[in-house]
Amino acid sequence: VSKSRLHHPRLELVLRWVLGLTFVYSSVHKIAAPAQFAKVVFGYGLFPPASINLVAIMVPFVELVAGGALLLGIWPRAAALVVETLLVLFFAILSTNLVRGVEFDCGCFGFAENGVISPAGDYLARDALYLLAGLQVLLYKGRRKWCLLQTDNPAFSPPPAG
Amino acid sequence: MGDRMKIGPVIARAAGLLAIAAAAALFVNTLSPVGIPLFGQWNAADGVVSAGGTAEAAEREGETVSVEKARAVFDADAAVFVDARPKEAFFRGHVPGAVSLPVRAFDERIADFWERHSPEDSIVTYCSGRSCEDSHRLALLLREAGYEKVRVFVDGYSGWVAAGHPTAQGEEGGER
Repeated sequence: VSKSRLHHPRLELVLRWVLGLTFVYSSVHKIAAPAQFAKVVFGYGLFPPASINLVAIMVPFVELVAGGALLLGIWPRAAALVVETLLVLFFAILSTNLVRGVEFDCGCFGFAENGVISPAGDYLARDALYLLAGLQVLLYKGRRKWCLLQTDNPAFSPPPAG
Repeated sequence: MGDRMKIGPVIARAAGLLAIAAAAALFVNTLSPVGIPLFGQWNAADGVVSAGGTAEAAEREGETVSVEKARAVFDADAAVFVDARPKEAFFRGHVPGAVSLPVRAFDERIADFWERHSPEDSIVTYCSGRSCEDSHRLALLLREAGYEKVRVFVDGYSGWVAAGHPTAQGEEGGER
């Protein structure tokens, strides 16, 4: 794939919308059932007890706000940075549990019908795809289509002095 | 170079997005009927873990059992094990002798269950483990239905399997 194609504005738009929709969608069931999501977070076995409820309360809204910002094109680069950070964290959590061999409910897009749990490898592959998509959105340099507020774009920053 | 990457302002705006998210999260969680306390009970050593929702309510009213206790109850045949998971999960594997009563199908199935089990029977509910609330919800529903001796096996089927205890597959009633 040539460099120019990777920087095509329409590709940026598609990837940004896919990521935005994905994150907004994945936040909804967690916001609707925070107690259940907290149990899932507990199930990851990685968070100190005092932080579990806070993680369960905060993370879904970070997904919602970052996903919404990507969809609407509000500070798209900053939103992509947030999304990439989340995806890296998810990747770390998933791979840790994969290495440990722990069967667990990732709670990513819905809560497991108890006992029905996909292999962590599937989650990891999906996470990696989103990471790549997010990278394009994050590093995209041109003017973006369908953006309400893209003042965090390099195209808008003044040329450096000197 | 107008397109030089300036990361500082991007990080600042990302922090702004996080602040907006945190504020919205706390606001909604405070007002929401399904909101949870900021800190839950997540030390397994102090008892059953929960965010302070359904599980806590279930445990205030009743006892829970550990894997060892569940095995002792199982060996003594001292209680009916009731599986709160969906039927497919039960089919793939369950505690031998357990009765399937998926919490989502409770309303359709309770009459049948009522005919076969008296309110004095000891009952132990379980689901897939500590990351599910179905065993707790089922315990609450069974108590509402009139069963008095309902306990929750919190480590659930995954805890049972991890402890190397026997399992059964397929429909209920074909084993033990």
